[in-house]
Amino acid sequence: MAFLEISDLYKRFGSVEVLKGINLAVEEGGFLVLVGPSGCGKSTLLNTIAGLESITSGEIRINGRVVNNLHPSQRDIAMVFQSYALYPNMTVAQNIAFGMEMRGVPKAEREKAVAEVAKTLQISHLLGRKPSQLSGGQRQRVAMGRALVRNPQVFLFDEPLSNLDAKLRVDMRTEIKRLHQSMKTTIVYVTHDQIEAMTLATQIAVLKDGVLQQFGTPHEIYNNPANIFVADFMGSPAMNLIPARIEANGGGVAVVMTRDGAEPLQLKVGSHSRLGAHAGREVIFGLRPEAITDLSGADRTSPGVVNAECHVEVVEPAGADTYVVTRLGGREVIGRMRSDMQVAPHSTVPFAFNMDKAVFFDPESEFRIA
Amino acid sequence: MSVSQETMVGAARPATSASAGAVEWLQRALPKIVLAPSFAIILVVVYGFILFTGVLSFTDSKILPSFNWVGWENYVKLWGFRNWITALKNLAIFGSLYILLCSAIGLFLAILIDQKIRVEGVLRPIYLYPMALSFIVTGTAWKWFLDPGIGLEHTMHLWGWESFAFKWIKDGKMAIYCIVIAAIWQSSGFVMAMFLAGLRGIDNEIIKAAQIDGASNFNLYRRIVIPLLRPAFLSVFVVLAHLAIKSYDLVIALTNGGPGRATEMPATFMYSYTFTRNEMGIGAASAVIMLMMIASVIVPYLYSELRGGKR
Amino acid sequence: MAAATHGAVQETAVRTNVLARALIYAGLILFAGYYLLPLYVMLVNSVKPLDEIRQGDMMSLPMLFTLEPWRSAWATAQIGVQPTGLRPYFINSILMVVPAVAISTLLGALNGYVLTKWRFRGDGIVFGLLLFACFIPFQIVLIPMARLLGLAGLAGSTPGLVLVHVVYGLGFTTLFFRNYYDAFPTELIRAAQIDGAGFFRIFWRILLPSSGPIIVVTVIWQFTNIWNDFLFGVSFSDVDSQPVTVALNNLVSSSTGVKEYNVHFAGAILAALPTLIVYVVSGRYFVRGLMAGAVKG
Repeated sequence: MAFLEISDLYKRFGSVEVLKGINLAVEEGGFLVLVGPSGCGKSTLLNTIAGLESITSGEIRINGRVVNNLHPSQRDIAMVFQSYALYPNMTVAQNIAFGMEMRGVPKAEREKAVAEVAKTLQISHLLGRKPSQLSGGQRQRVAMGRALVRNPQVFLFDEPLSNLDAKLRVDMRTEIKRLHQSMKTTIVYVTHDQIEAMTLATQIAVLKDGVLQQFGTPHEIYNNPANIFVADFMGSPAMNLIPARIEANGGGVAVVMTRDGAEPLQLKVGSHSRLGAHAGREVIFGLRPEAITDLSGADRTSPGVVNAECHVEVVEPAGADTYVVTRLGGREVIGRMRSDMQVAPHSTVPFAFNMDKAVFFDPESEFRIA
Repeated sequence: MSVSQETMVGAARPATSASAGAVEWLQRALPKIVLAPSFAIILVVVYGFILFTGVLSFTDSKILPSFNWVGWENYVKLWGFRNWITALKNLAIFGSLYILLCSAIGLFLAILIDQKIRVEGVLRPIYLYPMALSFIVTGTAWKWFLDPGIGLEHTMHLWGWESFAFKWIKDGKMAIYCIVIAAIWQSSGFVMAMFLAGLRGIDNEIIKAAQIDGASNFNLYRRIVIPLLRPAFLSVFVVLAHLAIKSYDLVIALTNGGPGRATEMPATFMYSYTFTRNEMGIGAASAVIMLMMIASVIVPYLYSELRGGKR
Repeated sequence: MAAATHGAVQETAVRTNVLARALIYAGLILFAGYYLLPLYVMLVNSVKPLDEIRQGDMMSLPMLFTLEPWRSAWATAQIGVQPTGLRPYFINSILMVVPAVAISTLLGALNGYVLTKWRFRGDGIVFGLLLFACFIPFQIVLIPMARLLGLAGLAGSTPGLVLVHVVYGLGFTTLFFRNYYDAFPTELIRAAQIDGAGFFRIFWRILLPSSGPIIVVTVIWQFTNIWNDFLFGVSFSDVDSQPVTVALNNLVSSSTGVKEYNVHFAGAILAALPTLIVYVVSGRYFVRGLMAGAVKG
């Protein structure tokens, strides 16, 4: 049985349904990331796990125990808040020790625990300060210290890095990952940043409008998105989603896309046997930018690479790579080429499409069809 | 949408035993239990009492409340009293002059003080301190100051200006303006502070943009700044109107309603009919009318404020 | 207060010339004179003998300096029928103000805490009803309140006045604390809940220690309002419990005997002293309090 289990969870505020039948399960020591655009219900879901908000129906189990009716302090959880929520009138040490104080832990024991946690997080020299005297990164560490010292069964993180600047965010991300690897405690982590989700998670749950869109490992979510929303939301730059048509082509199948001022582009699809059933139909053809390259940058081990000449609209050098924009099916399509490629705008150059990575969606239902 | 946090403590329903359930119930109900006494008291002493006074205004209560229903008789009588009509006329004169002049002086001073004045820290408390005084103190000072026998007129005569005459406070027609003068003295500094806060709250970039557009100082204030002070004007109006309708202490201390009943106001009328002349029914009726006057100003204001505050 | 932060405007746009600046200063100083004059007149004439007031003009400094009027106003002047001076009434005011301010502030803090951090269905209506209570003309409650105090055996007593000031101050104190706590991060309350703190523990340990500024504002507001009150004092007190404002009015408007203006002025200043001192010591907060009372959200 899973360590943290959420089944058929519904949450209503008056007539507004914020969570619509969420089912999730995380193994002990797992790192679950809840991701989605703002207003998707991810923070509400985290708050219901914490017990800060009640649920309308369903069940939440932690380590086999139903916690629906338990007060937050009795759920054996710890939480790190977006604003850090450090008590402004207390010192760092008092902040970290407050929970233990409430539970009546003797003073000597509290001090020992605080000192230990402070050492782990390298904030020992800050223990006597007030939160207002700390930098953003230091506050973040104190907030984590307050959670760590509880040694809970589950850690809850509510967008903990969103108030930090870009560089610090990357550092803290690594630090959180390292902490997780050494402690092996189950973590539920809310973010709207899909890169954070990819790097940290053992499992990702993508939410939209209170509905769970897909639940799986980062690899599954990235490579086998369940629908257009997930495909579009995860990955940066986003997956190219091109209106196209499936046509029978000799023994196999091909994707056909319109082009401005040129005949339609036909790309042969290799091994997608399921796609044959959709011949003659309109689909949305999805291909990530890294699967559209220059010829020598293409994945040589992949049998499905198809080459085609395309007109270049815009060239965006990005240091390590150069993003090249063309237009297919009336949409901008981004390809990722090596940075030393000399590509001029408005020229026509050969592109390599790795069709092994291609995914196809129904334009009506937006679900994945192949 | 404001999301209710009704059950922030989780849906803590009876979990283990009956006593634990009681504790949980208490935890959840505690906020409401804490608020309840205050709310109940307000319900009784404000809304209950308004109702009570409202009922009395339809009875023939004299020195003590009675519950003999007389319908609209008290209101009909009220509008027949010359004193009540005087009180309303006085309120109209006092209220309009008080609001108008306080706003004008307050805005004028706020604009002057906003011109990067070095001694602002000294001037502001001087303008404001009258607000910290009791109206009784203000009345004591101005009563004497305006007294022709000993105050301003007397002093001017001593200084050689023999023909100077300032007898308003003894003059039934002019005495109400004395109350206006003293009330403005007391409140205009506070109005200045409200406008100043409004001025300081205006986005500097808007003003910079207007300057780049070539607005002169005069136009800058007339076209940009003063229109942006709309919320401050509204607050000033509400506060002053409310103070004007309630004003009681100052009249008592300055003129005690006199000379004759020339400076009677609704507040003094209500008090004297209720507690001195033992016409409680009439007093209650006048109080109800005062409440309706204030409510007609405050209710729309509060409604729009609370609506606007919802984001 | 954002003192002298508006400089950017003047540097560019309001490039006033010397004459205009002189006019601005003249206007400001003129008004300063208008506001200061009554205080000056009261002060100067409170240390003159009565004869000098009658003969001389009100602006001149005393030729014969005397503190007798102050002594008289404080301890011996005839108020009502007793030659007690303002002293006993001053003490009445203190006995009334201190508990009334303390209780109404504490209740306001708790109400504000509940209304912002423990919201429930209908809390907006509760707040609206409390808010409107700030603005009612007190004349509308005078009659029933007199009855209630009579029934409760509190008529004419200091506890009765305390009760009246507490209940009619609740609206404002709640408003102040609600507006302040509204901006207080709710995440802190949640963190404390996870740490296991209950309703009162969160209030005492987390909220109150951060409430210094709003407590100051509320206390000053309540203090000035209750100290300066006249209507409730004159309606609900008797000789033993009259506050100083009522006594001052009796002193000034008593029709018997010679009008001792110098004593009246000394008395007026004495009655105003507590609020003036509070105002001078923490005037900036006072302004902020007035603003919070006027501009609400």
